Amino acid sequence: MIIHGITIILFLFLYVIAIVIGRSRNLFAAVMLSGIFSLISACLFVIMDAVDVAFTEAAVGAGVSTVLMMIVLNLTSDRESPPVQPKVFPLLVALLTGGVLIYATKDMPAFGDPEALIHQSQTTNHYLWHSFEESHIPNVVTTVLASYRGYDTLGETTVVFTAAVAVMLLLGHVRESETPPKLINDPIALVGAKMLIPYILLFALYVQFHGDFGPGGGFQAGVMFAAAFVLHGMVLSPKHTLKAAPALIIEKLVALGVLLYAAVGIYCLFKGGNFLEYDVLLSHGEKPNPHGQHIGILLVEAGVGLTVFAAMLTLFYKFALRGKA
Amino acid sequence: MEIVYSISAFGILFSMMLALIRAAQGPTVFDRILAVNMFGTMTVLFIGVVGYLTNRPDFLDIALVYALMNFIAIIAVLRYRDFSVDPAEEAENHEHS
Repeated sequence: MIIHGITIILFLFLYVIAIVIGRSRNLFAAVMLSGIFSLISACLFVIMDAVDVAFTEAAVGAGVSTVLMMIVLNLTSDRESPPVQPKVFPLLVALLTGGVLIYATKDMPAFGDPEALIHQSQTTNHYLWHSFEESHIPNVVTTVLASYRGYDTLGETTVVFTAAVAVMLLLGHVRESETPPKLINDPIALVGAKMLIPYILLFALYVQFHGDFGPGGGFQAGVMFAAAFVLHGMVLSPKHTLKAAPALIIEKLVALGVLLYAAVGIYCLFKGGNFLEYDVLLSHGEKPNPHGQHIGILLVEAGVGLTVFAAMLTLFYKFALRGKA
Repeated sequence: MEIVYSISAFGILFSMMLALIRAAQGPTVFDRILAVNMFGTMTVLFIGVVGYLTNRPDFLDIALVYALMNFIAIIAVLRYRDFSVDPAEEAENHEHS
């Protein structure tokens, strides 16, 4: 009951923020409010027990997205130019799409409805009840993500790779800024960052390798690794970070992660199994070795982490090293 | 114990609302920056309280992520925002818009 009340209040917050962002011409305010939007979404994910999603939202929303938005605002202007004429057609399209979506929710099962199709399906029940005996990994989300649905995750990693490549192509030729942006030169920021960066990296490692047991995994850890480097780049300057993590190497890591993921799958083929069938990874002859699942998921998650980390850092480099137009 | 956690959860929600009003109204840049920073702290507390309210204290991992990374966004604001514009002037612009 209490949880219901909290959920309703949080959704009300989201609603208010969405309206304020839509009406605001001050883009800086919009960026700040979208930061709050992401924080509230993470609270909602936690309440709905989607801990892994909340983790991703936490890492991306708090760590990277506001940073990228601020850099972009710095490159352009922070006031939205007023519309030339009031546009009726886009409003109609928006209202129509919204109406269709609301109409569609009528067919969706209520939240947590045990009669819902998804809870009755054989696949779901197999995942929930047999994943531990098949892979000996306590976190079902990790098993589904990296083992049962390994193909899908390979696809997702490829999407991240493609996005990074697209940004590299679009913003490929970095226009060096003539006047380097001023350093903050603030001892509080500098010392605070120095103290926190090691712990962020340590926590990222924990998230990366503890994903089998608790919330987390390659996606979340990759973003957190990148956030540590982004923090370094902001407190000193992106050029200092370039010395620590050269763009040439980082760009190659984007591809290496996907390659590692796919290589695990192909190695499974050579061992006589199916693509991404980890059971055969450690087996000798006919005897299957249950630890194969562990090793497979560990390697695959490492691939995901590498790609996400490198893609995020590439985004930061491409935007932060760009001079004002 | 549950009643204590519920009261604190609603207390945190109330202060979230206050921060939200400040972030939406402004009027200066600094109001908004502080509001977002405070909202981040509220989120850390909120996730912690809800974790205990629903008997899932392992949610604290997520609260930890926020505690570690919350201020990165604020550093970005300090780094990439041009503060040479007079805050009072911005307030005036806000009223006109």
